[in-house]
Amino acid sequence: MKNEIELNHQFKKIIDQHKGILFRIARTYCKNENDWQDLIQEMTIQIWRSLSKYNNQFAVSTWVYRIALNVAISFYRKNRRGDHSYVPLSDHISAIDEEQDFERKEQLNLLEQFICDLNDLDKALMLLYLDDKSHAEIAEVLGISVSNVSTKVARIREKLKKRFLQKNL
Amino acid sequence: MNENELKDLWKSTNEKLDHIRLTGNAITADLTRLKIESGLSAMKPNKIFALLLGFVWVIFVDTILLHHWESASPFFIVSAIIQVLSTKIAMGIYVYHLILIHNTDMSEPVINSQKKLAGLRASTLWAARILFLQLPVWTIFYWNDAMFKDANTILWGLQAIVTLLFTGVAIWLFINIRYENCNKKWFRFVFGKKEWQPIIKAMDQLNHLEKYDPGEEVNKE
Repeated sequence: MKNEIELNHQFKKIIDQHKGILFRIARTYCKNENDWQDLIQEMTIQIWRSLSKYNNQFAVSTWVYRIALNVAISFYRKNRRGDHSYVPLSDHISAIDEEQDFERKEQLNLLEQFICDLNDLDKALMLLYLDDKSHAEIAEVLGISVSNVSTKVARIREKLKKRFLQKNL
Repeated sequence: MNENELKDLWKSTNEKLDHIRLTGNAITADLTRLKIESGLSAMKPNKIFALLLGFVWVIFVDTILLHHWESASPFFIVSAIIQVLSTKIAMGIYVYHLILIHNTDMSEPVINSQKKLAGLRASTLWAARILFLQLPVWTIFYWNDAMFKDANTILWGLQAIVTLLFTGVAIWLFINIRYENCNKKWFRFVFGKKEWQPIIKAMDQLNHLEKYDPGEEVNKE
């Protein structure tokens, strides 16, 4: 077993290198800012607790994705209050996207709204897909077959395409 | 919109999120705080309260048993033993499941971990099955010698009906409180209260997970 100092060092390095993943997942599963903070905190705690069991047969990012998604899905199910209201990201960042054109902003809102409406497992799938993960990597994180990933991705993309067409975007 | 355009659009979201993240300082690697919170998050106060209540009840019944072992009626002694034993078993199952849930490996593939977690939460029903099994003892613990000496046919007839009814209900519930029946009306009625909602939710999750990935079977008992 690794000693405490080594674990502490490894933990800080993992958090530093993968905080973007944690933040994106938290943002996808929680719309409320206080909930993001709580969820990120829970993910971090779980990463710390699981660190001594880390198996280097998997890439660190795959391992982080698994933990973060597992915590996010559990958190989402526990705290779901039937409120699926969607808060556009632009509400939080109005100051930094003044130069962004209207159409792109509309597309972004539509994409976020679409992800928000997906069920918890499809959210995870879509997140991995949009983060440019291969179908094999997605299968590894979710624990389903590559062909199942391909089928589900194709179905979700088809739905998304229809949604964009409906809005003429 | 093609695949690349879609992913580019998503990347632009990430850039914005990075901005919020840097200003919001949401992520911390403060180990001392994490270690404390990790310990505290193991158990919710309502679960601790339920266990404390059970513990006090068990101590109370055990004390009565010890003090009245020789003087109490055999029906009382046997009923109290069955009652306190089933409560202890139910508490043991409850604690065991809480420990298993807390120790579930979250670094396993998402579907596996979620199936395990939902399966474990749903299996807390075992505690309910055991507790329902003690129903008949609540109809016999007060029997005593005097009741037999001054036997009243009508009263004993009523007593027999009630005891048999309670026994039947207890056995029926023990057999039928299971995952396969979770969508039946009587099940939703029995477990409709707020405190059972996490278990009902877990069962719904299992259904959802199995539809999502029908591959691996999960223990639903």
